[in-house]
Amino acid sequence: MDFPLHLQIFLRSFFLQTGWNSMKYQNIGLTFVMLPFLKKLYAQDKDALPSVLARYLETFNTQPVMASFCFGALAQKEEEVAQAKTLTAFKEKVTEWSTIRKSLSITAASIGDRLFWGALKPLTLLMALFIWLLSGVNFFEVPCAPSVSLWNTFSAGAAAFFVFNAVALFVKWEGIKISFLKDESACFGLTCFDWNKTIYYAKRLGLFMTAGMLAYGIYHYLKDFKELDAHFYARAAIVLVFVCLSLLTRKFKIANMYLYLAAVLTLNIVCLF
Amino acid sequence: MMTPEIFSLCVLAALLELDTTYAFQLTLSRGIISGPLLGLITGDLMAGVQVGVFTELIFADINPLGGILPPSAAVCCAVTLALYAAGIDLYFGFFFGLTGAALFSVLEKFMRKNRFKWLVFWEQKITQTPSAVNRTVGFALASSFLMNFIYIFIFVCVFGRLMLVLLPHLPAKAHLACTFAYMAVPWIGLATLLPSFRLKTR
Repeated sequence: MDFPLHLQIFLRSFFLQTGWNSMKYQNIGLTFVMLPFLKKLYAQDKDALPSVLARYLETFNTQPVMASFCFGALAQKEEEVAQAKTLTAFKEKVTEWSTIRKSLSITAASIGDRLFWGALKPLTLLMALFIWLLSGVNFFEVPCAPSVSLWNTFSAGAAAFFVFNAVALFVKWEGIKISFLKDESACFGLTCFDWNKTIYYAKRLGLFMTAGMLAYGIYHYLKDFKELDAHFYARAAIVLVFVCLSLLTRKFKIANMYLYLAAVLTLNIVCLF
Repeated sequence: MMTPEIFSLCVLAALLELDTTYAFQLTLSRGIISGPLLGLITGDLMAGVQVGVFTELIFADINPLGGILPPSAAVCCAVTLALYAAGIDLYFGFFFGLTGAALFSVLEKFMRKNRFKWLVFWEQKITQTPSAVNRTVGFALASSFLMNFIYIFIFVCVFGRLMLVLLPHLPAKAHLACTFAYMAVPWIGLATLLPSFRLKTR
């Protein structure tokens, strides 16, 4: 795969989920991403393109960043399909291609969900929260603390944005390249990275940062009290009750927003009567 | 109530919302990024930061895994900040923002289920003329943007007007109750992050 084609697939991969539907998921997106490659591969045999595209329009669903591994692997296998000499070999290669599309998309999605949504996203959130608190943005106060500089306001969000995307775009770019070069024995390049170790360390760091954030948050929330008055106890009660309730509702798989809505309702009833 | 700044906020929010699923996925639509950006339009950056952080924390327990469709952080920030810009307190605005985001995910689910009616038509077009996939993607993006914009615009108009009518009649205790619930949001969210970093499998 040459550089212009690699770049085209990479840029088009940002639209993988456009046309997402509950029937065939990312099938339109996959066809859109792979079209430049297919047009080049079947430049001499344009009549074959409709039947090729019909295969790409079948069900496809995976994690958008890790999908890059599927693009390279499918491109590699498509070359084998295009070069098949006999009808039997062609059918064999098409079956192989379909199997890889299905199995690789499931494996990639499993890794991607755990790494990007389960670890990296909350980790970058914590990073942003720490930057904000350190630069004087106290979001615990209602209304929010006095205004700080534009740079301080945007630096935390920008840091989270760049860290998340540095990892995501690296995996996206390298994924296309590696999966095109590696074969089944290396799981199309998926085994080149130690995903489990990365996720393990990211989650451990996240746990450590969350505990730190809770402690730092409590300090920020209660630091201005000179004496233990009713207002102090009210604030401390809010922290304690909602932290405990949140942990409890998590155990019963009740979403946070329902806890908030229940809090609005309950507190209104308590205040009004 | 619909000032140019609220209108442009709805446009920007509809564009940011595309980033959640349909285009890029660069996390521009997450609360900590869309909140300050939308706050810049309304002229209150700190409110944008706070709403962004609170939105992100309250939705921290719902990830787009498998068929789960999390409520939209961009919609929540947009509705909250639009109502705030219209003169409604942040703690009331956030309640409507959250409700708006939850309802938006219901609408989105409905749209995704019904999009397959177009699918047969699109697939036929693509297999006949391969370059039709470019138009299909363009059409899907444009229609999603339009749907996002219409939803946010109508929601802000309806609930903004409703709250402006109700606000003078609300007792002071309701303000106090909603402030307390709003103050609890970061703690609810932070406590959720602890179990979310638990190692389920190694």
